[in-house]
Amino acid sequence: MKLLAPMLVIFLLLSGCAPKVLEVPISDEWQRLKETDAKEEERRKVSLEPETKIDEAKIEVEEILKREREKVVKIEETPFKDILFDFDSYAIKREYYPLLDSISEWLKMRKEKNVLIEGHCDERGTHEYNLILGQKRAEAVKEYLVRKGVDEKRLKTISYGKERPLDPRHTEEAWAKNRRVHFELK
Amino acid sequence: MRLKRIVLLSLFLLFAKDLFAKVYLDVYATGIRKVIIAVPYFKSTEATRLRAELPELLQKDLDFSGFFACAPWSLMDRDLLDEGIERSQIAFSKWRSIGVELLLKGKVEEQGEEVVTEIYLYDTSDGSLEFAKRYRSRKDLVRVLVHRIADDIIESVTGQKGILSSKLVFTAGQKGSTDVYISGIDGFGIRRLTNYRTITVLPSISPDGRYLSYTSYKGGKPDLYVVDLKTGHEVFVDRDEGMKVGREWLDRKTLLYSHTYGKFSSIVKLDLETKTKKTILKKEGIITSPSPSPDGKRIVFTSDMHGTPQIFSMDMVTGEIKRLTYQGKYNTSPSYSPRGDLIAFVAKIEGALEICVMDPSGSNVRILTNSGDINDSPHFSNCGRYIVFSSQRKGKTKINIMFTNGENKRVLDLTNQNEMQPRFVPQ
Repeated sequence: MKLLAPMLVIFLLLSGCAPKVLEVPISDEWQRLKETDAKEEERRKVSLEPETKIDEAKIEVEEILKREREKVVKIEETPFKDILFDFDSYAIKREYYPLLDSISEWLKMRKEKNVLIEGHCDERGTHEYNLILGQKRAEAVKEYLVRKGVDEKRLKTISYGKERPLDPRHTEEAWAKNRRVHFELK
Repeated sequence: MRLKRIVLLSLFLLFAKDLFAKVYLDVYATGIRKVIIAVPYFKSTEATRLRAELPELLQKDLDFSGFFACAPWSLMDRDLLDEGIERSQIAFSKWRSIGVELLLKGKVEEQGEEVVTEIYLYDTSDGSLEFAKRYRSRKDLVRVLVHRIADDIIESVTGQKGILSSKLVFTAGQKGSTDVYISGIDGFGIRRLTNYRTITVLPSISPDGRYLSYTSYKGGKPDLYVVDLKTGHEVFVDRDEGMKVGREWLDRKTLLYSHTYGKFSSIVKLDLETKTKKTILKKEGIITSPSPSPDGKRIVFTSDMHGTPQIFSMDMVTGEIKRLTYQGKYNTSPSYSPRGDLIAFVAKIEGALEICVMDPSGSNVRILTNSGDINDSPHFSNCGRYIVFSSQRKGKTKINIMFTNGENKRVLDLTNQNEMQPRFVPQ
């Protein structure tokens, strides 16, 4: 993303200039010069030189942009969203199967990446039990991914019980968000 | 002596599972038969602030204990307040006429850096001297002295020492950053034992006071640590993958904890002398919170082996497991009374977490809190008459204490932070 902004400026500057340079040759003046003066022909060549360069630059810039755009899309498309659980449950809900499947596919493609699977709980459980429950949530997700063919060695589990809630409020909405497995790419 | 018998009888009834609900005097009574005690200001040969300070602090302690109602000084006229401390100088009938059953008289002298205090306790029914002791203490340790006197008086009246000199170990801080603290029950003498500023939870101290155990994320993941409090050195760390938590000691050198990783959970017995671990129970799913009976013959624990978290009891010899709780879908954090007569635990009731007790057989469940809050971590006092626990109301968590019948609830204020996972320090 850092590269994108300056490259975009260069692109706009260059592409902004290009039509002006092109305008000169197709003007009447250009016609006149072409017809009358070989020296001017020579000058035209010189003046055309930047034009080809511009085209090359344009292509290059466009390629970088395309690459940058692809990267952006890839980051946005990493499938690591939180998996939510029912109260006091570490059973993965069916609705999360497609998400976990895409996570396992992604991990199988990006073999250099390891994942920390964090289990979290809402506050309406005892401290001690929640630490274990969070572990079981993380283990359930890990087991699913391993079953889908992800190398076990790339997956670490940790439980934070109710010690690190995503939403610190004391509402049903907050509790639902906090009963989760969260992924950290390593 | 008549009074003593009544008190002992009522205590027996109270702690023998029956609620002694006789209302003695409306002005004092809160359901439990409290003994009405008077603690007029002390005598001294010189002007010392301790004459008023000691009885004031003592009254606070006696009130806190739940066994006494202190007669206010406003009930006593000049003659009564100025009365001597000798039996012959005391007008017992006058004390009786204002409802006083026990009369505590004191004498205090400052001798250099020392304070010498004499305490006499009279039964106003017959004027008998129940208790007489002389205490010598340092001037700067007046609070310690008062707690000691209060505990002795409670012992003299109820047959067992009070908890005023007790210490608590607990965690305090904000979410994601909690450390272990130790403190007197009145919040004095507070010390922080860890300084990791990360998640550190579930501290406990071994029966002889030598070891401190806790689970901390200071190494990036939850590991179980045992520290020798004399040297401050870590003498054991369980760095295995997964969750390790436990805070109950089988004896002075054996910690019980649970370990959950992969499909399985196990209960581990850690011998700190040999530094060896022994798995005493391993099952799929969740097993946690092992708590031994005082004779060490059984352990109770939480498990979801029947679907929801419930409390089970295992015979340590035969390994036979029996389910104890059947009410509701969430019963966790069992803790055995040192008397062996009760198991405290946390039950989910109408969306809240409440402290309950039951008999070791699982019968006779009584709900002790009905605050609708998040109550957690029940633990019995060494005498088995009180339960300490944490209570979270609207995001603020404080340590509370109550009798094992749920009466005499008190909120402790130890730090200005959230305070959690309290445990009595063994004495």
